[in-house]
Amino acid sequence: MGLRGYLARRVVYSIILILAVITVNFLIFSMLPGDPMAQFVAGMRGHIDEERYAQLRKHFGLDRPLHERYLSTLGNMLIFNFGNDIISGEPVFDAMRTPMLNTILLMGSAEIISITLGILIGVIAAYKRGGILDTTLVTSSLVTYSVPIFFVGWIVILVFAVQLHWFPSGLTSPPGWVRNPPVNVLEYIVGRLRYIVLPAFTLFLFTVGGWILFTRACILETINEDYVLTARAKGLKERTVLYKHVLKNASLPIITNVALAAAFLISGAIITETLFSYNGMGLLTWHAIYPTPNLPILQAVFYLTALLVIIANFIADLLYGVIDPRVRYG
Amino acid sequence: MATRKARTAFAIKRFKKLVKEISQSKRGTLGVTIIAFFVLLAIFAPVIAPYDPINPWKDPGQYPAYDSPPGPKLAEKLCVPSWYEYIPWVHKGSIELKESFISYVVVIDGQKFPNVTNLYLTQRIAKAQKIEAFFPNGSSRELVPVEEWMHNPADLRRVTLDWQTAENLPDSTRVEVTYLTGTDITKTMEVVTDYKFSSSETFYSKWQNKTSHPELFNIKHNSQEGFESGGCIEITYSGSEYNASASEVNTTVFVPFGYAHWAPPKSFATHFSARIETTTKTNVTVTLWLRDEALGKSFLLSTYPITSKGTYFHYKAVSTGNETKGNIGEYPERIIFPRPANMSFALSVNFPNKENDVTVYIDNVQCILYGNSFGLLGTDNGSPFPPRDIFSTLVYGTRVSLVVGILSALFSTVIGLFLGLISGYVGGTVDETVMRFADLLLVLPTLPLFIVLIAVMKSTYGLVSMWNIIILLTFFGWMGFSRTVRSMVLSIRERPFIEAAKAAGGGKFYIITKHMIPNVFPLVYVTLATSVPGAIVTEASLSWLGLGDPSIPSWGKVLYDFNVSGIAVTKGLIEYWFWIFPPCLAIAILATAFILLGFALDEILNPRLRQRR
Repeated sequence: MGLRGYLARRVVYSIILILAVITVNFLIFSMLPGDPMAQFVAGMRGHIDEERYAQLRKHFGLDRPLHERYLSTLGNMLIFNFGNDIISGEPVFDAMRTPMLNTILLMGSAEIISITLGILIGVIAAYKRGGILDTTLVTSSLVTYSVPIFFVGWIVILVFAVQLHWFPSGLTSPPGWVRNPPVNVLEYIVGRLRYIVLPAFTLFLFTVGGWILFTRACILETINEDYVLTARAKGLKERTVLYKHVLKNASLPIITNVALAAAFLISGAIITETLFSYNGMGLLTWHAIYPTPNLPILQAVFYLTALLVIIANFIADLLYGVIDPRVRYG
Repeated sequence: MATRKARTAFAIKRFKKLVKEISQSKRGTLGVTIIAFFVLLAIFAPVIAPYDPINPWKDPGQYPAYDSPPGPKLAEKLCVPSWYEYIPWVHKGSIELKESFISYVVVIDGQKFPNVTNLYLTQRIAKAQKIEAFFPNGSSRELVPVEEWMHNPADLRRVTLDWQTAENLPDSTRVEVTYLTGTDITKTMEVVTDYKFSSSETFYSKWQNKTSHPELFNIKHNSQEGFESGGCIEITYSGSEYNASASEVNTTVFVPFGYAHWAPPKSFATHFSARIETTTKTNVTVTLWLRDEALGKSFLLSTYPITSKGTYFHYKAVSTGNETKGNIGEYPERIIFPRPANMSFALSVNFPNKENDVTVYIDNVQCILYGNSFGLLGTDNGSPFPPRDIFSTLVYGTRVSLVVGILSALFSTVIGLFLGLISGYVGGTVDETVMRFADLLLVLPTLPLFIVLIAVMKSTYGLVSMWNIIILLTFFGWMGFSRTVRSMVLSIRERPFIEAAKAAGGGKFYIITKHMIPNVFPLVYVTLATSVPGAIVTEASLSWLGLGDPSIPSWGKVLYDFNVSGIAVTKGLIEYWFWIFPPCLAIAILATAFILLGFALDEILNPRLRQRR
């Protein structure tokens, strides 16, 4: 079939998947028992006059039959028209802009450090397999991997914010900035960084164990292969063998996971951001659920995350061929 | 064809080998030990936990005046662990303090205003020592405060001097107050040991009485009568023999006790049930008292007139009650119990109708002093329920975590295995459908989706049960394993022995059950062990966000209670460490144990990871 055929099939799959995601999104918000959308509007009854109530129902399309609502949702999603934020009234994209940038900053820095260090340490652990270093690394990764993130967060806050007073224990930027915003760029960067360090460190601690274990497992799959023995027999340096021969061959699943992590990045880290009151996508999502349901935001978050994951999967599949020429499409 | 017996023997042998291999791996042994520990904890929770975390009340049913909730609360809120009293650096006992005030008199319109009439000390007064005045000429004299100063109702730090004395002190006289203040770890104390009056010996050895007319009263223990017929105090008053001499007729039954702490209790609660029997229209008045024997001072808690006869009426007085506060002061417990003292708890019966015969039955008499320490790990802030014993909650929480973790791992692994086998072996449209569905579930952000779904359930059904969470975790947990199984099945399908089985006439069902499952089964163990922690942590996270089952005690819910209590902001994490760190640690340790076991199993069962020896 070749590359072109494979590509076409993947594109078709992805489109079907996107349609399915939109359908699920519609189902969750419109057809589940209790229908959050209808409940929200029903909750307004009594607080506002009948005219406004009818207007709201019309606004959310609750007066139309289900199939019409489905079709309009489908159309709106495809052109990224998520409607307006219920609370502030501004378009969903405007409401999401700042949190999304904040989240990408936070999760991006945490993920990059965690992936880089995780892969490096994972390779070392796999290489020293069975030794004390490996045992220690694996056990501590297993521990950090399974400890709930709010526990990690609490300890980080306790040590670095409460005891040592090095970093603030929460919020996104200094509270004084609301009145007098920073004048120069350096002050801005330093101020923001001070508030990012602790949540990023928490996320790093929480995720790095997973990356170490995953890389180690992938490396162990290939380290006993014959070509590794050949490479060693050729007299290549151990580091060259590890990073050029073993890691490169073991990297396919790692790449998929990196792509997925990058895609899930925009849905934010609900618990970390709630714990640190960090104004990111996670906090936005949480506040869109609790205390006031803000359904357009939720729909947008779900849809965008799913879309990005689908795209990331697609890209990862394509990258396979670039990295490993043995992969045949078809 | 192997017989059933032979097959069983083989299975047992294989299982034994697995156990042996796990026991050889340090991580596996550690994991299994921890899991076993938690399983035992979960099974024997009712035996291990000293209190019921769902109904944290004292002896429901025995204190009928506390009709709702049943019985007085178990403990005060925000208690520290009771073993704090053994910590050497926690101060227990009295501290002697001296504070000086320089007197002067302000004259306004010919009227004198001395400044030392009200002396505000820096600490709570547990016991007064003395007040001395050092005059400018070098002499000194002891002063007497207006009233018993440590029991000043208005302010527990105030000493009031007589206006006349203060006015006559020359300017620049130094008034020195010597007093004791104290801190202590106080314990919850039940003053009456046998409050159901089931034993007459206990009654006669503990209880004393004092009456205005000893010849008219007969006070004894009655083992037949009483609320729920368990025994009671019987007070018989022969009013017909009354000869109009005394002004008041009353009797007091009291139980002496020692209060041992240098700090007041956090609160107290009293209770009694009473019934009167009389042939004429008569009423009696019952009053509850606490008496400081050293000072000779009695504190009236509450007064109850009993007018109707025949049935038991139930009465209570608590330190937070308005009547008690009105009688004593804003913090009755601090005023009554400032220091160690011999106290007594008294119940006084007044007979206004002096000429009538009355028999009074009194039962369920109790006075509970709530201390600031409780149990192994203290108590929570008790909102909206009464304060709960944190240790008991933790022990019961093991059940929730284990059940949610193991069941959802089991269900999702079984579903994953089934769908993986089907889609891998059958292929075609079935395969496509299952795998695309798995893809669809995989691209959705899990935690936000859980939160939305649970929030919807909560608003629809009013509550979220543990089973909803298990179902959700199952529904979103099978995809990874079914993919792995499918890929394994795809490679096994091409192996010669499957072809042989097909050639021999084996059907799809036969091949799947007899050849596929045994080949992928080692992976089931690994997946089971490694998917439990995810479920446990997700359940805890949901509860942490307040989306768990509110009616069952789970570890995450303890943390949620801590979160909403605001203690983290007002008091900090350190002071109430026993509230959050034990549940966090429990979650972490249990999750890690399963991961360790899974990792050990992976190394044993995964042939590629098996080390060459």
